[in-house]
Amino acid sequence: MTSALVTEDHICVGVITGSRGTKGEVTVKSFTGKPENLAAYGPVMDDLGHVFNIKVVSQKKGVLVVRLSGIKDRNTSDILKGKRLFILKSMLPKKEKNEFFFFDLLGLSAETVTGEKLGVIKNILNFGAGDILELSNGMMVSFAMETVPEVDLKRKRVVVKPPLEI
Amino acid sequence: MPRSVWKGPFVDGYLLKKAEVTRSSERNTVIKTWSRRSTILPQFVGLTFGVYNGQKFIPVMITEEMIGHKLGEFSPTRAYMGHGVDKKAKRG
Repeated sequence: MTSALVTEDHICVGVITGSRGTKGEVTVKSFTGKPENLAAYGPVMDDLGHVFNIKVVSQKKGVLVVRLSGIKDRNTSDILKGKRLFILKSMLPKKEKNEFFFFDLLGLSAETVTGEKLGVIKNILNFGAGDILELSNGMMVSFAMETVPEVDLKRKRVVVKPPLEI
Repeated sequence: MPRSVWKGPFVDGYLLKKAEVTRSSERNTVIKTWSRRSTILPQFVGLTFGVYNGQKFIPVMITEEMIGHKLGEFSPTRAYMGHGVDKKAKRG
């Protein structure tokens, strides 16, 4: 369920999976690149619009134990189970030239130079040899100037020059 | 145990030929290959290989840092995508 308080300017950075201990600490599954970065972007908001300052207490197997401001006992923290945590997209670190957040690129329409539609960007991969865009038609292209000469976030499209294959 | 130096790096012969043809044509070309075992040589820098991972051809753009590694290292056969709401992609 999405709350009206959560707008397109927000992005989900984690979900509260349960309580831990009796002092109101909660376990959180983090969706950030490094799990501990959950607390790096300032206060978080839950589905109901409650804003919390967040402090990571410990981390185990990708699950964070977190202390939320104003949550002091287990009864309160139990209520939060299943709530998602959001931040404003503007709180994320600034991009450099030719850098794009994954959430900006995912779902963009991919077209050829002549305007022929190829599909949408389904996934972004990096196996150590640069970023790769995976399109819905199964095509994979390197995210480079030669193959993706234009990224138009306003019109939600990228221009792809499919390379020849030999 | 490392490979003997006197043998030199291993590269499949057909791949060398394809790389030469591509370098001379200077076009935006992906060299499709199944040869994951081939070593990346200095003359491959700047080329893009489509390295088969058992399912699809993963584009691998060769840079200087990759010299000496095998092509297969950059085309994993098991992929864990993970999360990354704060991850960024850089257009090279």
